[in-house]
Parts: sequence; C-alpha cells; structure tokens
Amino acid sequence: MRPITEAANRQRKIIQDVRDALVRASTTFSKDKIVAYQQAITAEKNQHARWALEIILENALVAEKNQGPMCDDTGIPHLFLEIGPKRTVSGELLYAIQEGIAEGLRFLPGRPMAIMGHDKQRLDQTGGLDPDPGAVAPAPFLIKQVDEDVLRLHILMEGGGPAIRGKVYRVFHQHDVCTVRDEIVRWGTEAVEQLGCTPCTLTIGIGRSHYEAAAMMMEAQVFGSYAVQSELEVSITEGVNASRVGPLGLGGGSSVLATFLKVGPQRASGVRIVCFRPCCCFEPRLESILLEASEH
Amino acid sequence: MAIDIQTPISDEVIAALRVGDMVTITGYIYAGRDRALPKLVRMIEDGEIENSDIQLQGSVVFHTAVSPAGVGPTSSNKVEIESSFRTLSKEGVKLYLGKGEISEITIAFLEENNAVYAVIPPVTALLRSKTLEQKVVAFPEEGIEALHVLKVLKIPAIIAVAHGLTIREDNN
Repeated sequence: MRPITEAANRQRKIIQDVRDALVRASTTFSKDKIVAYQQAITAEKNQHARWALEIILENALVAEKNQGPMCDDTGIPHLFLEIGPKRTVSGELLYAIQEGIAEGLRFLPGRPMAIMGHDKQRLDQTGGLDPDPGAVAPAPFLIKQVDEDVLRLHILMEGGGPAIRGKVYRVFHQHDVCTVRDEIVRWGTEAVEQLGCTPCTLTIGIGRSHYEAAAMMMEAQVFGSYAVQSELEVSITEGVNASRVGPLGLGGGSSVLATFLKVGPQRASGVRIVCFRPCCCFEPRLESILLEASEH
Repeated sequence: MAIDIQTPISDEVIAALRVGDMVTITGYIYAGRDRALPKLVRMIEDGEIENSDIQLQGSVVFHTAVSPAGVGPTSSNKVEIESSFRTLSKEGVKLYLGKGEISEITIAFLEENNAVYAVIPPVTALLRSKTLEQKVVAFPEEGIEALHVLKVLKIPAIIAVAHGLTIREDNN
C-alpha cells in the first residue's frame, strides 16, 4: 500500500503548490515590477499620472498583504510548462495541476465567469454563469523543452481587457526591422488609448504562424524582465510613450512600463506574424514554481 | 485635495466639476456592465422603470461586475456600455465611473445632459474596504453582471470628461 500513499501524497503536494502559486500570481507584484513602478513615479511629471501610478502600486501592496485579488477580473489561467530532458509528464501530473488551478480559483476567490451551455449558448452567453470560480477552465497547456533538469510550471492569469485590445496579424517587414517596430508602436498607441487599465507592459511574440506567434508572446510574458530590456524593447516602449496617453489615459509619459518581446524562428518571406498583447497595469500576473515532487 | 461628492448628485455639483478634478464618492451607486446596462435601457424605453425601485435621478453608474473577487472598472467604450450613456443620462444619471476613452458622440451626450465621466483606478483591493453594502436590484439571472446597488465610502476617481472637455485635451 505504501507506493499508493506516496503517489497520493505527491499528487496532493502538487495540487497545494499550484493552488498557492495561483494565489500569489493574483495578489502579488514581482520585485522588479515594484521597482519599475517606483521608477515611473519618480520620472513622471504629470500629477494625474503620478496619482494613478501611486494608487495602483498601493493597491498591489494591499492585495499582497490581504492575499486578495489585485483586480476583480481575476483572469483566465494560462499554463506554461518547462520540461528538462530527464523529466516525464504524466496524465496524473496534468490532472493534479488542473485540480490545483481549480482549488486556487476557489480559494482566491476568482471571479465566477465560466459560461455554461452548448456552443451557441457559450457564444451569446444565454447559458448562464457557473457560480463556481473553479469552473473557469485553464487555456491549453503550453510546453517547452529546456536543457535544465527541471519541471517548472509558470501560471499566468490573463484578464479580458488586454484580450480585447490585443491582436495577431501579419506585418510586411520590407526587410527593415524599423517597419516591424513602427507597426507595433502604432498598435501599442491605439491600445493604450483604449485599454484604460494602464500603464501597460507590452508583450509581443513574432513567429511564422498565428499559433507560433501566440506561443512566443506567452514566452515573452514568462521570461520578460523589467530590469533587463533590449534596445528594440526600449525603442517600442519609448515609441508608445511618446503618445503621452499616460496611465489610465490621464496624460503623462508612462503609458508603458516596459516591452517584453520574443522573436521566434522566422521563415524566408516578406511577412512576419506578430502577436501583440497590451498587458494591463497588473499583468503579467505570473508565478513560477518547481514541481519538485514530480517523478524523475 | 479631493472633492467629496455625496449621492444623489445635484445639477449644481456637476456644473462645478472640472476635468482633472480628483473626487471621492460616498453613498449609494449603481453597478452594471455589458449585460445589465442594455437591459436597463430597454426598461427605460419600455416605461418599466417607474414600476421598479431604481432611482436614476442624480445617480452614479459604475461600469463593473460585482463578484466575490470584488469590483473594478471595465472598459466604458465597449459597445454595450457606451451605447447606454444617452438614455441613462436623459433619465438623470449624473456621473459614470469607468475606464478608457469614450467617443466624441458620448462626450456630447454628457454635455447636453450635464453629466460627467470619471476614471476610477482598477484598485479592487482598495475598493474592497470602501464598499460597505451590496445587493442585486435587477436582472438577477445575470449573476455577477446583474444590476447591483453598492453603498460606498469615499471611492477615488478623477473627472475625465466634463462640459465637452476631456482630460487629454486638458493635459495638452
């Protein structure tokens, strides 16, 4: 009976770890994001913009202290799994992760926003809402092979506002990176005007297909850093900030805190597929955990 | 220094507000978004509002869902929400709380009806401590998107559109 108990304990630990990670993702700013806000507050000359930045940062600190959601749109869980060469992923593990997500949403509590019913009802929202926050199903897993000997799960909570303002579309690059950058800056400027919950972190993936570009965008959210920005990322941030839309649309030079860009493999072609998500003032809501208890 | 506003709001209070004013709002306010507001507009158009407990004269409408996760502004420029401004303003709504830019047409409706639009920061954790009561007043079948009334204490906002002007023009 012992192996069964050990397996059950291992499963239970994964569920608890994932639950706790989802709560941290939803309630806590990363250290580098706090620094990015503090720097923006110091640099911002517009008093309305400074007020917005200060109150958003204060809200995040209160959310962490009280372990409550930073935003009432608690988002759709997106799961990114890094797998080292000697690790295995079983159906049981994926089940435990999903169970941990459901428990986390109930514990948080997440916004109960799962639409019930058949295809048409889910489209026009006539099937009603499931009152269980845990019924909000995560998006499909994204899996990445890595050289490191780890099994690492990244949990991202994706809100609705950035989904409305994001897009995946082709850019004819004309063999000039500036063409791609300028198009992204146009999208970003339009997005910060409309989104409302800014300052943004612009997250961008560039690939050979819509699917690949979206996967690259998710990777940019996971591995992007406020502390380390490439020349191209800085150029995009500065380009959008030149619009002076400002946080919450109140004016000022801090519409965007940073840009997280991941350029994937590209095809020999005049087109690049760009996936663009203007993450809101709380996003990326991210927490990463090692699944230590998983099988080797 | 923020201007304290109590609900219901008089025409005189609205007339004195300027773009860029920081305000706090105290009292009973309505909360609704994509699902509730079009239904509320239909109630008004069908003359059913008189038979309800909903009092829109001098009221505030906060564009939010109300869920166990709390409250926080959704985009006021969503079609279902922005299309409600005209009817609701004629019916007496004086202040809208939301986020995002609204159209020139909506700005004109607000001016015609001496109403204003304020941006409320998406600060769910802070708003939790400032929301004293909440209950559903219409469309309970919509769950978190039902029309709610909230009793709030000094929730912060900034006037973004007033008397035909916007805060972006003000900044420029």
